[in-house]
Amino acid sequence: MTTRPPRLAPLGDAAITVTYADRIDDVVHARLGADARRVAAALGSAVEVVPAYSALTIHYDPAHWSFAELRDRLLPILAGPGGTAAPAPGPLIEVPVRYDGEDLDAVARATGLTSVEVITRHTGPEYRVYLLGFVPGFAYLGPLDPALVLPRRATPRPRVPSGSVAIAGSQTGIYPAATPGGWHLLGRTAVPLFDPARDPPALLAVGDRVRFVAER
Amino acid sequence: MLVVRAGVATVQDLGRPGYRAAGLPPGGAADRFALRLANTLVGNAETAAAIEIALGDFEFEAAAAGTVGTAGAIASVAVGDLTFPGGAGLSVRPGDRVRVRPDPAGRFGYLAVSGGIDVPLVLGSRSTYLPTGLGGQAGRRLQAGDRLRVGTSAGPAARRAAPAIPREDRPIRLCAGPQAGNFPFEAFQRLVGEPYRLSPTSDRMGSRLKGAALPLLRAASLPSEGTAVGAIQVPDDGQPIVILPDGPTVGGYPKIGVVASVDWGHFAQTPLGGTVQFEWISVAEAHRAARQAAAGQAALLTALRSP
Repeated sequence: MTTRPPRLAPLGDAAITVTYADRIDDVVHARLGADARRVAAALGSAVEVVPAYSALTIHYDPAHWSFAELRDRLLPILAGPGGTAAPAPGPLIEVPVRYDGEDLDAVARATGLTSVEVITRHTGPEYRVYLLGFVPGFAYLGPLDPALVLPRRATPRPRVPSGSVAIAGSQTGIYPAATPGGWHLLGRTAVPLFDPARDPPALLAVGDRVRFVAER
Repeated sequence: MLVVRAGVATVQDLGRPGYRAAGLPPGGAADRFALRLANTLVGNAETAAAIEIALGDFEFEAAAAGTVGTAGAIASVAVGDLTFPGGAGLSVRPGDRVRVRPDPAGRFGYLAVSGGIDVPLVLGSRSTYLPTGLGGQAGRRLQAGDRLRVGTSAGPAARRAAPAIPREDRPIRLCAGPQAGNFPFEAFQRLVGEPYRLSPTSDRMGSRLKGAALPLLRAASLPSEGTAVGAIQVPDDGQPIVILPDGPTVGGYPKIGVVASVDWGHFAQTPLGGTVQFEWISVAEAHRAARQAAAGQAALLTALRSP
């Protein structure tokens, strides 16, 4: 499969957006993750690279680079080898979960499954980390089993328990702290998603794989 | 120093870039030059932690001798019975009561003390990230009763006051974003047509603007992608939200443009309820302006540091 070259455009005068596609696609995402690593390796701390679903954002210091200079440094890296071969999958992280979330029963009712079936379908897949955002350490994981797809809650909670494991749309995620949240809460994990004393501070990174494991 | 009274005030320095890919925004002072200036007035390194005052008077009792200095939206500093305009370095003695009063013509004021505010470093910075309680004084706003440690090493205080930098009544410069295809031409005209007003619900994560609704060509929600400080997001209601230093690192709203980096501080100083007028410039012009401003700022700070 041939892929179109990504499109570079300024995001203001201190960032560049590199757009690969206009929708979520795992092959595209694997490629942009590999490009992100290559850019970081080539340019180091002169830039900050943020991968997302189908685009990279590259932050730079406008005192050191012009858009044209940085674009000219990036183009050869982005067009580099990688082509059609899928990059090696990232490390697999297993996350133990106590499935006693406030919305577990409601999700079962809404999907026509039993709670046990909800848990089985949530722990089955190996999820991909697409991006981190919203708050430090919050990873957007997917794709969710289609049988569990539900719109997010009509009314978000002002505060969810820290470590809550949740679903919405075709995504699943873990709230790293007691923040507001609009996703359906299936359970909790005690594994810290973000710890400033750790290096790197976030447990999960783009391209990692995650599997949830039900605690007894 | 012992905090006696605080409205909305947090410990900030120049932030912690480098963790956007983990979902942590760079943070730091909303008006970076004002922080650097306040630090220079009291003989600190420009990167020292100071107190960012966003709302209300800030009052403290000094526990040791030192110098205090203010910059940004500060109207006056009272030391005991004497009141001074903002902008000068002032000597304080142990036991002195100092009251800092914000200037309503701006939004963020900076109070620096010689030695810097000595709270623990978190990921290399003393800035406060309120959404998850990271850094600063226990990750929260300052409150009465807080005892803040102050560093002991500082260079000599500046021998003169900072020149008064009047709030210029000029438009905020914007550069294009990559999502031009999400907006009809009319949206770009409207954004620079009439002024927008800053909603009082604005905070360090974003400035919410009220004014002419910006039309969108397609559904507002795109796959989330990286945002930037200064990015102007347009949700379904067409009312722009401008990302500030603690704002989200990714988002699904289309971005119509980005405030030029040279104007981030000036834009951040738009007072709550105040108006802002925008104008479009090219990225090349934005870079030229940024370099020119950086050189001017560096020269001013160097001059203040000289004997």
